[in-house]
Amino acid sequence: MEPGDAARPGFGRAARAPPRRLLLPPLLLSLLLGRGLRVAAAASASSGAAAEDSSAMEELATEKEAEESHRQDSVSLLTFILLLTLTILTIWLFKHRRVRFLHETGLAMIYGLIVGVILRYGTPATSGRDKSLSCTQEDRAFSTLLVNVSGKFFEYTLKGEISPGKINSVEQNDMLRKVTFDPEVFFNILLPPIIFHAGYSLKKRHFFRNLGSILAYAFLGTAVSCFIIGNLMYGVVKLMKIMGQLSDKFYYTDCLFFGAIISATDPVTVLAIFNELHADVDLYALLFGESVLNDAVAIVLSSSIVAYQPAGLNTHAFDAAAFFKSVGIFLGIFSGSFTMGAVTGVVTALVTKFTKLHCFPLLETALFFLMSWSTFLLAEACGFTGVVAVLFCGITQAHYTYNNLSVESRSRTKQLFEVLHFLAENFIFSYMGLALFTFQKHVFSPVFIIGAFVAIFLGRAAHIYPLSFFLNLGRRHKIGWNFQHMMMFSGLRGAMAFALAIRDTASYARQMMFTTTLLIVFFTVWIIGGGTTPMLSWLNIRVGVDPDQDPPPNNDSFQVLQGDGPDSARGNRTKQESAWIFRLWYSFDHNYLKPILTHSGPPLTTTLPAWCGLLARCLTSPQVYDNQEPLREEDSDFILTEGDLTLTYGDSTVTANGSSGSHTGSTSLEGSRRTKSSSEEVLERDLGMGDQKVSSRGTRLVFPLEDNA
Amino acid sequence: MERQSRAVSEKDEYQFQHQGAVELLVFNFLLILTILTIWLFKNHRFRFLHETGGAMVYGLIMGLILRYATAPTDVESGTVYDCVKLTFSPSTLLVNITDQVYEYKYKREISQHNINPHQGNPILEKMTFDPEIFFNVLLPPIIFHAGYSLKKRHFFQNLGSILTYAFLGTAISCIVIGLIMYGFVKAMIHAGQLKNGDFHFTDCLFFGSLMSATDPVTVLAIFHELHVDPDLYILLFGESVLNDAVAIVLTYSISIYSPKENPNAFDAAAFFQSVGNFLGIFAGSFAMGSAYAVVTALLTKFTKLCDFPMLETGLFFLLSWSAFLSAEAAGLTGIVAVLFCGVTQAHYTYNNLSSDSKVRTKQLFEFMNFLAENVIFCYMGLALFTFQNHTFNALFILGAFLAIFVARACNIYPLSFLLNLGRKQKIPWNFQHMMMFSGLRGAIAFALAIRNTESQPKQMMFTTTLLLVFFTVWIFGGGTTPMLTWLQIRVGVDLDENLKEDPSPQHQETNNLDKNTSKADSARLFRMWYGFDHKYLKPILTHSGPPLTTTLPEWCGPISRLLTSSKAYGEQLKEDDVECIVNQDELAMNYQEQASPCSPPARLGLDQKASPQTPGKENIYEGDLGLGGYELKLEQTSEGQSHLN
Repeated sequence: MEPGDAARPGFGRAARAPPRRLLLPPLLLSLLLGRGLRVAAAASASSGAAAEDSSAMEELATEKEAEESHRQDSVSLLTFILLLTLTILTIWLFKHRRVRFLHETGLAMIYGLIVGVILRYGTPATSGRDKSLSCTQEDRAFSTLLVNVSGKFFEYTLKGEISPGKINSVEQNDMLRKVTFDPEVFFNILLPPIIFHAGYSLKKRHFFRNLGSILAYAFLGTAVSCFIIGNLMYGVVKLMKIMGQLSDKFYYTDCLFFGAIISATDPVTVLAIFNELHADVDLYALLFGESVLNDAVAIVLSSSIVAYQPAGLNTHAFDAAAFFKSVGIFLGIFSGSFTMGAVTGVVTALVTKFTKLHCFPLLETALFFLMSWSTFLLAEACGFTGVVAVLFCGITQAHYTYNNLSVESRSRTKQLFEVLHFLAENFIFSYMGLALFTFQKHVFSPVFIIGAFVAIFLGRAAHIYPLSFFLNLGRRHKIGWNFQHMMMFSGLRGAMAFALAIRDTASYARQMMFTTTLLIVFFTVWIIGGGTTPMLSWLNIRVGVDPDQDPPPNNDSFQVLQGDGPDSARGNRTKQESAWIFRLWYSFDHNYLKPILTHSGPPLTTTLPAWCGLLARCLTSPQVYDNQEPLREEDSDFILTEGDLTLTYGDSTVTANGSSGSHTGSTSLEGSRRTKSSSEEVLERDLGMGDQKVSSRGTRLVFPLEDNA
Repeated sequence: MERQSRAVSEKDEYQFQHQGAVELLVFNFLLILTILTIWLFKNHRFRFLHETGGAMVYGLIMGLILRYATAPTDVESGTVYDCVKLTFSPSTLLVNITDQVYEYKYKREISQHNINPHQGNPILEKMTFDPEIFFNVLLPPIIFHAGYSLKKRHFFQNLGSILTYAFLGTAISCIVIGLIMYGFVKAMIHAGQLKNGDFHFTDCLFFGSLMSATDPVTVLAIFHELHVDPDLYILLFGESVLNDAVAIVLTYSISIYSPKENPNAFDAAAFFQSVGNFLGIFAGSFAMGSAYAVVTALLTKFTKLCDFPMLETGLFFLLSWSAFLSAEAAGLTGIVAVLFCGVTQAHYTYNNLSSDSKVRTKQLFEFMNFLAENVIFCYMGLALFTFQNHTFNALFILGAFLAIFVARACNIYPLSFLLNLGRKQKIPWNFQHMMMFSGLRGAIAFALAIRNTESQPKQMMFTTTLLLVFFTVWIFGGGTTPMLTWLQIRVGVDLDENLKEDPSPQHQETNNLDKNTSKADSARLFRMWYGFDHKYLKPILTHSGPPLTTTLPEWCGPISRLLTSSKAYGEQLKEDDVECIVNQDELAMNYQEQASPCSPPARLGLDQKASPQTPGKENIYEGDLGLGGYELKLEQTSEGQSHLN
């Protein structure tokens, strides 16, 4: 065999999709006829009988089979939909009775489990009548196959590859196969709306206030957690090898891969409870922001671990070049996806700004949806990670485009993605429940599972406590011990870990990982999710904080700062340096990006230097001049009002001059502070999650900008 | 070596995946372009090209580019593999290439003459969707939206005429087109353009039935924008919606019709079997759709799900989708089920939803409808170039153009004449001409035609259908505005203005009465239904209507008390649209004439009408359900305010 003549997959992801248009020398092949895979027992019997009959009958039989297959597809989808319906109704009951032990996702899993049991043990196994025959030559695996059967031509499409050992086990139960989806469905259909919604609903203010900590948790934390889990699991695997429980290969990269997929935390359950109980907003923002970015990091991390291919003979030894290549891939994919998402977000913002599309909310919504979806497709087409791109696209859309949309489109887009998110999430969780029984290649290994449980707790602890310690050195608002415990506790695993694990279940190691991931998700969602409320009260975390009441405390703290808070002022000094880069970004955003991309912000003519006056006039929307009243400035100033940042502005720079022309209507407080009208608060809150009870209040600070000094 | 091959296969897989992404991306860009263009048109009040027309134009351009600008790849699988031992075609094929086993799924049968052109350009092949996608993904939201947005009052007012047009009219049109096409086919055989025996009479009928599905989106959009006479609007809209359902089922029954011996000969048994099929499938789908809607109505009535609009919307969406899937699983037609599910949901469930959910569901389905429709029209444009098995036949196309005009005339004029005999408000000549003119073909005809493109007749039909859709959408769609002025059809009628006049029977009573008496007999069936609906179904399924305790006989007191929601006793103002039905000028009068015990609720509705607030409120609900009732709502509220003032 010369190199590359056969598409022989290693342990990688190759097993899923077949080679498409490869030029390979012809090979002998044999056709194995798998009968009855897609047909119910009755149908296969009828078509089996038809085989001996005339060709017309065969044709009819095949048509019948296709019809039967379609019908079964409908039934399997119907199963899921009824599951979801049931979940919705039960959830309503729970919400109605204020039962908080079980979140809807947990419930969806339970129902999935029940149906899985029924399907597994309640449906008859299909009798697979195998017939193997060898045919003529073929060169390679085509995507479509034309087969000449006694004068008739039939077209077959390639569905996937099956590892030879699995041929028999694959044909067990038809119904089980039917309800098993192609894992790519999760990545291409179900995850994008979930992730986009997460990005779109990031509470901007709190998110940006804690940006540094969130980034630290997401990047460093995930890396730490991945590494620690990987190492611990490697130990466990070694142990298993000694005990003789391991029946196939399990490399160190596999362990790291497991570490990467299991590092994707997804505390939906906890967040839903926080939201309902109005737990402390900072804690909420930390957890939410971490979990959102975490997912992105984990995806890219796992794909770069897969891409780690040392040169040389031993494919699993450490190889510096390959390692750096993997790191390079990580950085490349991440930044590429980020750019892609941000660029499409910016394009959408520009399009919505310069067209008067807001007269037609339907068109606007459709455009918004299509552009966001294009991000995903574009990233996938360029070889980046679509899900990551979609996340950043969501954040950019929320930051810029949202301000350009008409009021109706805002609620439309919000609601649309909310519904999509809700359906997709519950679908995934009910599928998880189902998969425990319907997935046919589970590898249960008690040692591995126990090891994994220990590893995720240790990994989470090694992630939260040291990082929090370092962050507390720099943070003004320290992250309290109870917050740290709560964050430690909230390390649930969810949809992302599952999707990553199910993506490749070809090798033995991957199957074991998949099973373990599934069990970890079950355990964490049920036990930890159910224990959130007791935990909150046990840790004495502020509950019932209205997130919308929160701005005043901030501003109050600011007042305190101004007046008598020496300690906060000190904290701020230390913060000043570390937040330098963010400050730069904020002022850039406020001075240039916001005015270019949205209708708000100061007119570009004032912020840009004089020599680009023409360009500035061209890019500034007339509304900025027209609506000089501060009401128009929807959220440009959030950024500047961050508790810690404002002060640095106050310290390092100047007094207010009227340079930012749109602030004219604001009232000045204490010389450098201005109150803002409340309307923008309301607008801002629209983006948040379920905050109807918004009280319209809010003292807003607007600060002059550095370059006007 | 293993690693290398792995790398190769991964790279390959990579391409495999990204092809799909690129292909979807093309559609996305086309749609984005369409949206921007449409905005430009709307902004400049340019009405010659509807968005669907625009989508087709962009699709055509993209198809042209793909067809002639992409290089065809080298021969890939022009060879056919012979399997001697295969005596039949299994649904799944496992192919063993050295050590790997690949699974192949049965796709379809290919007739021999299609094999060679089929393997030309992989990109073109990629851009061709599986036709079932239309039926399973794209059409259901369109059809559901149509059902959900049927304007209830006008629809029920004209129900008789609409049903006549939809059922009788479609049947007539199908037969006429089939006959004319059969003549043309004979002529083609005579001219030597077609082999004898290729094209049966059933094929012609099949073509007739798929061509009978009219889809005047373009015209309706213009009507809506210009506020054309609501009666004309609802006649066209109702006809086109029901029409689709009838045409789908008809097509299916015709394709099932298989006489025993000679496929050309008439076989009474097979014919009646087909008719039975038609009736069975139609009734089954209808029952399935309504059953799901009734379940939804009951669920939303008896749970307090309205506290959580998102859950409510989710439930609504899921149950409507289940209607489709259940019908498909039961071997019925999902699209028909979804249509009736939509109508029933609008009639009952809609009243139980929270106001937030009402807006949400409406917007959700509007959005999905918009996207799906534009994707289909885009795809049509694309298919003209990317579909590789076109069979252009000038004579057939010419014949088809002729046939659809003649058939449309045979559908509209005689039926209108017959209907005018019984109708109170005659359908005037200009309406008839307009309806004749609005026989556009659209998404359904296309989807039906693309479903089966195996044999040469079917390919010819597909090509012809495509051209007909292009022609009618561009020419007729563009000509709607001139046609309206030429036919002197009332334009600028405010729908709500019209609604306002209707329920004030005081000054219409005199002229209504005499017309009404003639109507009284023909509408008996509908009247019975209305009475039943108002007295029993509405109170059972929704929070509105009179309490069941008053309408049901004494002896079922406990059940009625159980089923009546507490709101029915309390706020009588909640009666949102009961009076729409009862208040029909014709029907309300009937109620009064009969002076039956059911008149109190009817009068109650009328009394409410008299109060200044309810019309406004009710009209808002009405408008909500309509197509983009956004502007209407605004006008309405301002009017309501002026009323109050």
